[in-house]
Amino acid sequence: MNKTPLFERHVAMGATMAEFGGWDMPLWYKTGQTAEHKATRENCGLFDICHMGEYIITGKDSFAFWQKMLTNDVRAIEDGQAQYNFMLNEKGCVIDDCIVYRFNEEKWMLVVNAGTQDSDFEWLKKNALPDMKLENISAQTCKLDLQGPNAPKLIAEIAGREAIEGLKFFRFVDNVNLDGIKVLLSRTGYTGEIGFEIYCDIKETVKLWDLLLTRGEKYGIMPAGLGARDTLRLEAGLPLSGHEVRPDVVAAGTPWEFAISYEHDFIGKEPLMAAKGTIFAYAITVEGKRKPGDHSKVLYKGEEIGVLTSEIMAVSLGMVPAGFIRVNKELALDEEIELLNEKGKTFKAFVKANPLVKGTSRKKMASML
Amino acid sequence: MANYNVPSELRYSETHEWVKDLGNKRYRLGITDFAAQHAGDITYVELPETETVIDKDGVDCTIETVKSSEDICNQISGTIVAVNDMLEDSPETVSSDCYGDGWLYEVEAESDDDFSSLMTAEEYEEFLATQED
Repeated sequence: MNKTPLFERHVAMGATMAEFGGWDMPLWYKTGQTAEHKATRENCGLFDICHMGEYIITGKDSFAFWQKMLTNDVRAIEDGQAQYNFMLNEKGCVIDDCIVYRFNEEKWMLVVNAGTQDSDFEWLKKNALPDMKLENISAQTCKLDLQGPNAPKLIAEIAGREAIEGLKFFRFVDNVNLDGIKVLLSRTGYTGEIGFEIYCDIKETVKLWDLLLTRGEKYGIMPAGLGARDTLRLEAGLPLSGHEVRPDVVAAGTPWEFAISYEHDFIGKEPLMAAKGTIFAYAITVEGKRKPGDHSKVLYKGEEIGVLTSEIMAVSLGMVPAGFIRVNKELALDEEIELLNEKGKTFKAFVKANPLVKGTSRKKMASML
Repeated sequence: MANYNVPSELRYSETHEWVKDLGNKRYRLGITDFAAQHAGDITYVELPETETVIDKDGVDCTIETVKSSEDICNQISGTIVAVNDMLEDSPETVSSDCYGDGWLYEVEAESDDDFSSLMTAEEYEEFLATQED
């Protein structure tokens, strides 16, 4: 199993470790998932995300390459801006969800999921255009996510207020100095809270982790594991690759339509358009105190219409069971459904507005400093 | 590998339940330190009713965590004679004091056979050493 440079740190901090996408990662530390979740919503959480993949793409054809490979329209972003995307196969299904970063018209970075980073790279290589270079820098790249309402204060204290005060949602700045460590600061994340995805040389990983935890102490920072990352992202209405978005499910009818622009041609566009109106995805909450179980069937007036794709206890809603469903029928807000688990037990659930929890992610940076 | 507390006086299952012999064919059941650490934050415990007749391979209790749901395998065939009602208000005790106040339920068995077939503490520690952490 792969290990990040922080493996020893996680073990020393008493983390419960588990396999994720071929990586040995912390699920939670001694404090537990609930405390880590709350710390991220109220103060800030620090996540080891070194397992994710990063590629650099350079050359004259890179712009045209993205227009072909990604669902969103990269014409919509300028230098220093990032964009959420799906990468589809020819069937219109999601190979992976990813974020593309534009340094300039001829230099880009793509950030992909851990478990798919090798197959994604092969797919991109297979579809490469003549005048472009594709480089997998995952093994040389550290990624730490600092998320939560106190994250800007912490970064401002280390890097200086001017380094980030004008930084908008989905924008990034390169070559920021964090106490001698050169980083790329991206105002993005997977929690619904304001914060940063921070990239630097893999050799600086432990130093950066220690720096943020030490200086972040007065801001209530807490190291957070993949458990909290999952409850935070689901509450924030964000999909998980392999669950809500999958290589065998067409990307139509999801709450993540913002990842798709129909103004350009991309791989998988035709089957995607053809599937519109046949597939839908919704956030739900479940009545009672129990989660129905992964892969539970979704029933509507007794008829099976789909499947539960993820489930959590929504910590920020006061421990309410919640999840995402994928169904073949359009449902209204607050509509009642039933979930039938593998043991034959049924649970009453309701369609809810996505996201379930609205965090600070889009707040004005200056107001958070 | 992390260290787990394995009290010597208890018996253990491969699914990480512990069973305590209370005498007169009465047994108390709970989850082990290993299970508690891997379960994470416990939010709710669905306990069986007293007087329920249970099978050693059956599941009559489920532990709900922030992350997942964990089925508890009965291990002992017999009749439920007591359940830990305290868990209604403080389900987290199942992990914070897994061998003490976090017990789940008590069974009156027909024989000692089910208990005798469970692993001793020594055997369970050997079994844990073979588990992926």
